[in-house]
Amino acid sequence: MQNILEIENVSKHYAGHTALDDVSLNVPRGKVYGLLGPNGAGKTTLIRIINHITAPDAGRVMFNGHQLTQNDVAHIGYLPEERGLYKKMKVGEQALFFARLKGLSNRDAQIRLKQWFDKFGISSWWNKKVEELSKGMAQKVQFIITVLHEPELLIFDEPFSGFDPINANLLKNEILALRDKGATVIFSTHNMSSVEAVCDNITLINASRNILTGNVAEIREQMGANRYRMAVTDSVSNLLAGIDPLLAEHKIEKTEGDTTTLIIRANPGVTRREILRAANESADVTLFAPALPSMDEVFITTVENFNRENK
Amino acid sequence: MSKIGIIISREYKERVTKKSFIITTILIPILMIGLSMLPALIMMFHEGDTYTYAVIDRSGIIQPQLTDTSTLKFVAIEDSLSEAKQNKDYDGVLVIGRDILTNPSDVTLLNHSASNMDGEMEIRSQIKKAVEDERLKSYNLSNLSEILDEVRAEVNITTYRIDDNDGEDSSALPSEVSFAIGLFVAFLLYMFLVIYGQMVMTSIIEEKNNRVLEIIVSSVKPEQLMLGKIVGIGLVAVTQIAIWAVLICIGVLIILPGIMPAEVMAEVSTFNSGQFDASTAVNDPYLISTVAQLSEIGYIMELFGYLTLFLVGGFFLYASIFAAIGSAVDNIQDASQLQLVALAPIILSIALATMVGSDPGSSLSTWLSMIPFVSPILMMMRIPFDIPFWQIATSLILLYATFFFMVWFAAKVYRVGIFMYGKKPSLKELIKWASYK
Repeated sequence: MQNILEIENVSKHYAGHTALDDVSLNVPRGKVYGLLGPNGAGKTTLIRIINHITAPDAGRVMFNGHQLTQNDVAHIGYLPEERGLYKKMKVGEQALFFARLKGLSNRDAQIRLKQWFDKFGISSWWNKKVEELSKGMAQKVQFIITVLHEPELLIFDEPFSGFDPINANLLKNEILALRDKGATVIFSTHNMSSVEAVCDNITLINASRNILTGNVAEIREQMGANRYRMAVTDSVSNLLAGIDPLLAEHKIEKTEGDTTTLIIRANPGVTRREILRAANESADVTLFAPALPSMDEVFITTVENFNRENK
Repeated sequence: MSKIGIIISREYKERVTKKSFIITTILIPILMIGLSMLPALIMMFHEGDTYTYAVIDRSGIIQPQLTDTSTLKFVAIEDSLSEAKQNKDYDGVLVIGRDILTNPSDVTLLNHSASNMDGEMEIRSQIKKAVEDERLKSYNLSNLSEILDEVRAEVNITTYRIDDNDGEDSSALPSEVSFAIGLFVAFLLYMFLVIYGQMVMTSIIEEKNNRVLEIIVSSVKPEQLMLGKIVGIGLVAVTQIAIWAVLICIGVLIILPGIMPAEVMAEVSTFNSGQFDASTAVNDPYLISTVAQLSEIGYIMELFGYLTLFLVGGFFLYASIFAAIGSAVDNIQDASQLQLVALAPIILSIALATMVGSDPGSSLSTWLSMIPFVSPILMMMRIPFDIPFWQIATSLILLYATFFFMVWFAAKVYRVGIFMYGKKPSLKELIKWASYK
């Protein structure tokens, strides 16, 4: 079974609005899967369906090759974006409570919690009430609660929000370590640089629909076809006069001293050699390299194109 | 332990170990005893104002027979009515008509200040007695006063309940005492339904606000969470009732014999052995039968047993409504209007309780105590009156059937409601949510 999770034509409607419209996606086992999309696109609804919190109106969710049931949630760990703990409850007691809700025995939960608390250096918090902790501290506890039962599938909704860079990095490494141990991670975020850093595959949900899905490298490659970064020390107008017939579009990225950097997209079929030859004749080229779009750019371009087409 | 068990135990432990629970469990009985004794204490230490009335007795018969009491003083005057009215030394003027014997209503009371009910009653009964005595005298009976002394009687009823089975009639409480006990347990239940019902609601709103909910429902079904919470909090209520039952048992076993005079306890034991004779009793037979009944542990246990059954049924019924409301709103303020849906029947039942208690055997009372939403409080009001068991059983069955339905309905609303943020829903929307998939 290559895919741990298969979402098949899932739709969900609420009174007067559609949260998900015929969304399908496959999450391969042992990878980090990015779930992207603007606010209100339907990501949280999809995550709730995967967690068996709400049921889809149409379509189905396959987990490990069978239709998702309530029992499967024991194999899923979920860190919601809006997170919270019982404020008046002690940290250790609370962690035990959640661990046991996930089906761990009291003894197993104690042992594992101790390991994690040692690992994060927070053993002294065990008898503290949650209200005594800072936001970041509480989030660490929450992370432990999410992964403690060693789920096959981990779902993190904006896991890094509220963390300082050091702790965010610590968390990122833990997530990757969990993946290396065989866990599958679904990662919902607006932070595109973290997507590039950790995600293998992504799905972009916009206006309740899946509008882009695939491998991160392939998507960037594909969207970066015929896209180059070029720097010249001469006048830009001279350069453009020379190469403009070959280009579909161009954009000045920055100007520093007499060096101007551009992002250009060549017309299909135009080779690098042709561009370079034309450029060299009209300007002094100091840089010419393929320019893969950042995930930020992929996100913005895809969503904007979609919105324009579906107006 | 099952998941619902884990939730129940968390909800239960969190509340039972709270200082406020321990304090209220001890404090409320003390407060209740204090409050119930307060009026008596006030009466004991408060010497009522004395009212002085000028009496103009045109018949000349009544005035000599009026006797001063602790609050009333009568002064015979010779002045005319208009003069007496001017005189502010008196609180009022009592004018007795010339033909009082033939027309007993020919009595006027003129007050300077607000009239006082107790005083008027006392004056009326004194005049009535005087008139009756005078009329009797007109029959010229010899040694009339001895006859009158002998005729006047203080009536006490010792009530028994006819036992259809073995023929041995069991003693029953006087109606006033049953009424008081009924009102006490009905009020207790009222308090529990409101306080613990709202506790369920606030706890759900709190979970929704601090977003703990989202994590829990990724492990258990929302329905399980709701049910676990209701059961957990319900168990807290039952614990409190059980503690109070034990406290009361200790009270009647140890404290009651201690504070009651020995001769009362002696008569109580003759009462219990069935040899009590009201006509030769030294103490008030009401007191004796009440003390006898209350110091019977079996009776108290039975009462608290029923109280627990109706508490559980009523609590589940109302807690599920409170839960549905709590799931739908974001804060307590928004809940206040919707809450009326749950509070109105509870308040209605406590309002009907005195009516039901004053005639517990009537068909209206019987029917009211069968209707699920008001039945817990109204049936508890009737139970001290020794009503037929089948009525209690029917009422319980109806109550439990309704609460099962209500829990099911609330679970459906709850499942949708907990993810609704922002908008303040109407009751209509809540009902619509129940039909969502």
